[in-house]
Amino acid sequence: MKDLLRLRTSLKEEIEIILNAQCKMEAEASQKYLAMASWLDRNGFAKSAEYLYAQAEEERQHFLKIFKYITEVGGTAITPIVGEVPQEYPTFKSVFEAALQSEIAVTNAINKIVAKCREVNDYATEDFMMWYVTEQREEEKNARRALELFDLIDSESPTGKFVLDKEIAKIGEAENE
Amino acid sequence: MYKKENHIHELYTTPKGSVHQCDLTDKIYLTFKDSVLAFKIQDFLMFRRKVHAVDIHEMIFNLSDKYDFEVIESQQYQFSLKLTLCDIIQLRELLDGARFTIEMYSMLHEVLGDFEIA
Repeated sequence: MKDLLRLRTSLKEEIEIILNAQCKMEAEASQKYLAMASWLDRNGFAKSAEYLYAQAEEERQHFLKIFKYITEVGGTAITPIVGEVPQEYPTFKSVFEAALQSEIAVTNAINKIVAKCREVNDYATEDFMMWYVTEQREEEKNARRALELFDLIDSESPTGKFVLDKEIAKIGEAENE
Repeated sequence: MYKKENHIHELYTTPKGSVHQCDLTDKIYLTFKDSVLAFKIQDFLMFRRKVHAVDIHEMIFNLSDKYDFEVIESQQYQFSLKLTLCDIIQLRELLDGARFTIEMYSMLHEVLGDFEIA
């Protein structure tokens, strides 16, 4: 009797399911950043809005990378359904608090995938996911930096919000150059 | 629809249906409620996930007519199944049993290498 399961792919079903779940998470993160950018834009924070538009695009690229990997190794990539994301934020700072929270949740999810890959001896997927481990370190650092700026610059001072907006937009510039 | 030959292997059978594997076509044949459906392995696993995604809690407690049946369709395989709550439970049992056998055979292949498994 043939082993049909391994005839077309070495990707185990449980790994395929968590990779699809990660696709959904990355797509959701992209949508969240887009909503945050929209809020910032309509409240006058044009420069930090641009920064979050770029983040939204980056998250979409992360999503596509996993999506294509699933099909590349013979699995079934499922277009994720993304539900409602928050459209309103109480303050300028709360946007970046939510961003950091979202990045930490993504990091945890990626760690779980790596752990699962090791459990089922799927070293190809583990190797693929290591790129995300490095990427998340960078993403978390940037999200934390934004919150640090709120501690360094008094947003209630006359030009505080204006300076914060400009400084946040500079985050991550060094690695993009 | 198909004859039970050497290349047809029974994966799981319940009083309501059966699942077979054909080594010639590399397909999984599901016999359930007067229909025989043939799937590629990946699509069979997807079909199982679809059946598991049905909210049976809603079917039990929601008195609205639209929760009396669940329709599961596949344009690729050109079928449409209208399933009651009982059908869903019975189909889940059948699909889970078949998946267990498929996984078990795969594990045996992994452990035993290229040995022929009858």
